[in-house]
Amino acid sequence: MNEKTLLRARDFWTSIVLMVISLFFLLKTAEIPFWAAQSAGVDAGGWYNSAALVPYGIFIAIFVLALCLLVVSIQDGGAKHALSLVGLGYSNQEALRLGCISIILFFYIFGLVPRVDFILSSALMITALIWGFHRGQRFCMVVSACTVAVVSLYAMLAHFPRSQWAKPHDDDWLTLVAFIGLTFFMFVRGRKNGELDRIAKITPIISILVPLILVLAMAFGFRQNVPNRTGLVFSKIEYHYYVSLRPLWQGKK
Amino acid sequence: MDFVLSQLVGFGNSLVGLAFDPVTYLYLIPSVFLGIVFGALPGLTATLAVTILTGFFGNKFPLDQALIALIGAYVGAIYGGSYPSILLNIPGTAASAATAMDGYPLTRQGRGGEALGITTTASFIGTLFGTFCLLIFVWVLLLVSQNIASPEKALLALFGILLSGTLMSKDLVIKGWISGLIGLAMAMVGLDPILSQERYVFEWSYLLSGFQVVPVLMGAFAIPQIMDGMRAALDIIKAPNVQRIRPELIEVTKRLPVILRSGAIGTGVGALPGVGEDVAGWVSYGVGKTTSKESASFGKGSMDGLISAEAANNAAIGGALIPLLVLGIPGSPPAAALLGALKINNVIPGPTIDPALIIHVVAVLVMASITMFVMGLFTARIFIAILRIPQTIFLPVVMVLTTIGSFSVGGGINDLFLMFGVGLVAYAMNLMHYPIAPLVIGVILGGLFDETFRRSLLISDGDLSVFVTRPGAAILVTLNTLLLISQISFIKNNFKKIFKRGV
Repeated sequence: MNEKTLLRARDFWTSIVLMVISLFFLLKTAEIPFWAAQSAGVDAGGWYNSAALVPYGIFIAIFVLALCLLVVSIQDGGAKHALSLVGLGYSNQEALRLGCISIILFFYIFGLVPRVDFILSSALMITALIWGFHRGQRFCMVVSACTVAVVSLYAMLAHFPRSQWAKPHDDDWLTLVAFIGLTFFMFVRGRKNGELDRIAKITPIISILVPLILVLAMAFGFRQNVPNRTGLVFSKIEYHYYVSLRPLWQGKK
Repeated sequence: MDFVLSQLVGFGNSLVGLAFDPVTYLYLIPSVFLGIVFGALPGLTATLAVTILTGFFGNKFPLDQALIALIGAYVGAIYGGSYPSILLNIPGTAASAATAMDGYPLTRQGRGGEALGITTTASFIGTLFGTFCLLIFVWVLLLVSQNIASPEKALLALFGILLSGTLMSKDLVIKGWISGLIGLAMAMVGLDPILSQERYVFEWSYLLSGFQVVPVLMGAFAIPQIMDGMRAALDIIKAPNVQRIRPELIEVTKRLPVILRSGAIGTGVGALPGVGEDVAGWVSYGVGKTTSKESASFGKGSMDGLISAEAANNAAIGGALIPLLVLGIPGSPPAAALLGALKINNVIPGPTIDPALIIHVVAVLVMASITMFVMGLFTARIFIAILRIPQTIFLPVVMVLTTIGSFSVGGGINDLFLMFGVGLVAYAMNLMHYPIAPLVIGVILGGLFDETFRRSLLISDGDLSVFVTRPGAAILVTLNTLLLISQISFIKNNFKKIFKRGV
């Protein structure tokens, strides 16, 4: 099947999704006063000043263009292929790859970064991505995704409310154990299968050094905010930076 | 004449000030290096380089210094894309796609070093040409822009989004427009700019301030690259050995007319709102193919072909900054990232911009292009070695960079959630050949469009003729209408027939 037919099959569904979304947002826009615009309870002009005016235009335009896209996709044979997975270009291997990457990124952003020390969570994510995807092996992808998901799920379930994101360090310890475990497993499996190449050897170094250097540069060089300042590793670094190192080079000790 | 002289004097003072300040080099050398690396590594882009640095510098550094780093990375990345294009036939960035047409055949002929040398020189002269045009035309346009009011601003923003959607679409033009409209829709979230009316907040207080530019940029450009690039990368890329890289002066002098012509095309295309360096490269390559004496060898290893693409994509940088500085409308996706950096520093580009800032930007561009030239000639072998790093190694690092950069700009964890959401949408759009640049430009210009469109109607008491009675607005309405009509297949086909008959 050529790429154009594949695209048109996908366009068929996309246009329907776009029409549904634009209709939903047109309904939401109807909640914004249109004919009698008000600001803080005071009359602020007619329809032409309403906060709904431009959104109406945008969503009507999206709806119309989506309709045009639907017509084009049907004319080009997209509707014929739209009901088969093959017609949509679905492949198991690609779905698994994308699923595993999405799981790793989702749990990293939503579970680990808010609750776990940034250096540890990033080290785990980097190891999972490099080991999981460098050789394109299904087993590695699944194990990597599961490791990140399990650790992150624990952090999310045990410390879901925002008030608990900073303090307890049990999830930090679990992430550290998972990182060491995954690295160890990578080496053992690599040696057993004869896959212990240069990439595998430098993975732990990259995993630790990159987030460490970045977080230090951001916090102490660029003076920017960094995630989870009270994390297991960063809190120690910050403490020693201000209590041990800084007074030393300022000549206060 | 006095005006031009005064500009040159101001520019000279700023350039000398920058050149003799050691802090300049502290920012410039690492940022140009980083830019070239980002450009050279396929999967990373100039926009991503500028966006990531925007996250790092945020609003906690003086803007003068942050601009050195951001512009340095921009110039470096557009140039850096030529390395894999020439040596491996893999464009490092979209901007250098046309470079591969003649660059790789030259490498196969054993002239890779020569190609890199002439590319470096053409990029350097191209950037300087674009910068000179920026210095001159920005003031002319600033004078014109004094007469620009809300109706013109609204129509110009719309034109930028439509034009970007039209020219950046690989598949159907409708998709480019839908992408731009999705960006506009995203810009509607939060409190509206005139009445402070809540829109699409869904009782989440974070959304009251709308979608922040940096997480949207990071999500739109970084997450899709990571999701797409994490594939098996067992074969280590072996870049071919190259000989002497420094070009002969005679060769450069001989090719100067081509470089200048390509520079002019690149600047012109770059100045079009929302149209990037990649379009500049292809347009210039196309013009070169029809006008060059060696047009028969285009695509087989022509130096003219190589220069046409490379000088134009670098000259487009200066061009892209013209609408950015004068009208607040980015000329290219990396310029959109630059606009994000200006916005978080509370600098609103447009007719009221501080003229000293424009002079500073021009001086930084010159310094960045000199740094790029020196690095390109003397440290090229480092960049060639970097080409061997597989995507599976550097993409996870990019993920950490974008996470910490997006987090640090201001919104904290919520910005990361937004970045991830935008990233998934952008990936799905990429998969279906929707261009991402119009979406980003829509998000950036959406607020401006909403505010100026409604303000125009408010001033005219709802009279829509305000968009046609003012000369500038009438021209822009005509341009927008022509752009839309030109894509209707019936009209398009008729025009093609007329053109064919003419030929």
